[in-house]
Amino acid sequence: MLGVNPQYPGPKRLGPELERLRREGVPTDTEWLEYCLGCHRCDLACPHQVGVSEMIAQAKARHHKPLIRALRDWWFARPGLIGKLSTILPALSNFGLAMKPARLAMSIFMRITPLRSFPEYRWGKAQKPISGGGDRPRVLLFPGCSIRYNEPELGGKVVELLERNGFSAEVAETECCGVPAMANGNSGVAQSLARANVKLLAAQVDAGVRIVTACSSCGHRIKTAFGGVLDEDKAFGSAARRIAANTFDLAELLMEQSDAGKLDTAFQPTNFRLAYHAPCHQKSQGIGRPWFHLLRQIPGVTVEDLDAGCCGISGTFGFKQEKYNASMAVGQQLFDGIRAAQAEFVTTECATCQMQIEHGTSMKTIHPAEILLQAYRPAAKGAESDSVLEEVPARMC
Amino acid sequence: MQSKSFDVVVVGSGFAGLTAAAIAKRQGLRVALVSTGPGSIALGPGWLKAEPFGPSSDAAELSEAMAFFCELTRQAGCPVAGDVANPRPIPNYLGSCESVAFAPQRLWNAAGDDKASTVIVGIRGLSIFDESFMAERLNERAKAAGSPDAYTARQIALRRDFGIPATVLQIATCFDRDAAFRAELIEALRPAASGFRRILLPGILGLHSSDWLLAQLEAELGCSICEVPTLPPSILGLRLFHRLQSYLHSSGVEVFSGFPVHSLQVGKEMCIGVDVTAPGHPLTLHGESVVLATGRRSVPLLAEPIAGCDPLMRPLDATGAVMAQNLFLAGTLAHSAAGYRGDTMRILSGYRAGTFAVTTRGAYAS
Repeated sequence: MLGVNPQYPGPKRLGPELERLRREGVPTDTEWLEYCLGCHRCDLACPHQVGVSEMIAQAKARHHKPLIRALRDWWFARPGLIGKLSTILPALSNFGLAMKPARLAMSIFMRITPLRSFPEYRWGKAQKPISGGGDRPRVLLFPGCSIRYNEPELGGKVVELLERNGFSAEVAETECCGVPAMANGNSGVAQSLARANVKLLAAQVDAGVRIVTACSSCGHRIKTAFGGVLDEDKAFGSAARRIAANTFDLAELLMEQSDAGKLDTAFQPTNFRLAYHAPCHQKSQGIGRPWFHLLRQIPGVTVEDLDAGCCGISGTFGFKQEKYNASMAVGQQLFDGIRAAQAEFVTTECATCQMQIEHGTSMKTIHPAEILLQAYRPAAKGAESDSVLEEVPARMC
Repeated sequence: MQSKSFDVVVVGSGFAGLTAAAIAKRQGLRVALVSTGPGSIALGPGWLKAEPFGPSSDAAELSEAMAFFCELTRQAGCPVAGDVANPRPIPNYLGSCESVAFAPQRLWNAAGDDKASTVIVGIRGLSIFDESFMAERLNERAKAAGSPDAYTARQIALRRDFGIPATVLQIATCFDRDAAFRAELIEALRPAASGFRRILLPGILGLHSSDWLLAQLEAELGCSICEVPTLPPSILGLRLFHRLQSYLHSSGVEVFSGFPVHSLQVGKEMCIGVDVTAPGHPLTLHGESVVLATGRRSVPLLAEPIAGCDPLMRPLDATGAVMAQNLFLAGTLAHSAAGYRGDTMRILSGYRAGTFAVTTRGAYAS
């Protein structure tokens, strides 16, 4: 943000420096709080582990916004509610959300940029496990809003990938993890979502089931015990910590199998070049770069770790009309990196990073789980190198 | 391939840690570099001061270690040069001079003794750097020393609004990302630099810029550019750190950055694991050899206080016994244990620890 908006005060000033004044009751509310992307890179940069991003998030929750933006952010804080409503009649919702007059109205009355497409909503449930369990370690996929409402078939693929690699997997019916709620300054919603999720997951975790996420933002949220929003409640707080300790990123779990020599490596040889973007919330989990190492195990695949910073969409941030330009400017470095990588396609595990990359580069961007799963399948007749590309569902760019 | 087991795990990314990691990587080993945040390089001014030799120093080995480090910086696109035995004065932002042994070219430019007149250029809004004060002090010093050096102070205004007060970080970030801003800066500097052969600027020329880019700007401007480090973390220190870390990353070192090591698993005189604090659950890394270069912070990582280190840089307890056969100390830790002082000695300790970590690797495996 600092690079594209020179006046942005930066995390050090917005976080700890202003926090001292905030704690003394000095009025310090500033519009710049709204420009924090919540990427958690400041937490990683601080050698003293100051919780900079949390200070900013809390100050953001107290920030006063004009009514029209407050109303928009009320919706943006609730992707689960939007998902539930939109999947009642998905075709109608998708039609409505793509209609130009509707987008114009949203731009005028809700300050939502008409320049981006919304993700398509789909109704569907992941298939029940094929293996039926047995004595395999049990895992539960926390689907997140994206898999639940937009890409239910990805949930099925993740389950298949886990089943293939020694786990007994199921998809949980959980609520939103609360990242969008915090990003839109609504800590109350974040807290009630965390409470609902803890109720759904605590018994499972106590029974020895591990939670797995295929979305890095959900993963980071759960691993930080939902940002510590339940810490003041003893029972819920400790349950949230137990859940956090037993939550794993999908790639983290698969890499664990790989390190133990238990990964199914019956990958079909192929030949393509892949550019991998590690989402900020993946980097802030401190798990290394397991997708990069997993994807490299597919014979014939060259993976370039882009390491070109934040994509800039930050969930709902990039959909906000007044922040669209900043969002695209932040992502420019990544877009340039992708173009320079000259890869056949891009992969990243974050659904909104995928949207941003496709929007900024027009390149097909898919979840790495899809690539790994596809690599187990023999190449389609006559099309060896493009089999992965062909079977990946086309996405609106 | 194992994602958490390495030939060498280096903890800490200061001068010592980065040197040790580079030594191990040069041998083609699998290396992990773990750090809480940017290390001592990032907090420094981007130069290495001339420090008196510590008790365990050896002039020939120090030269060898420094030659290795200079070559490393050259490969990383930020060549550092100098001479241990021949430190030269470089002005700091308060108008005093520091005795420096090694520095990148843009810093050495300020030490030039070609009797050229120099312009010190400040930037409106960047209140951390006061060009008039610096010029005044340097002129007083020159006069007292009977030197013909003369410094003139000038201020430029940038079209881009960085707010007041602006920070070096804001300007450097913009410099990195925006070619138009770089051109704008050169245009703003051109009239200020006219008539001078040397221009002194606050350190703002990018957090990641390569030496090649800076040399190009210098050619465009037609006079030599000297950057002056501001208060820590200075852009010059950060730049040197970023370039070295990303060079190591691109040469295959696995970098785990942003998370502190909270304990070392030591059993049967062997360090068997490095536990890194991460959200949810710790990340445990294993190394056949482990180099500990985390400064004072790492003392509590070992069960007992470090009483010294053996000739192979391994920590000794109060009874004089080696704490772990495959654990090697470098940097400030080695300083407190065996008298390695200052940046150049940190590099020497990293060079030694890295070398021993490589050569003894596997010799003690149970």
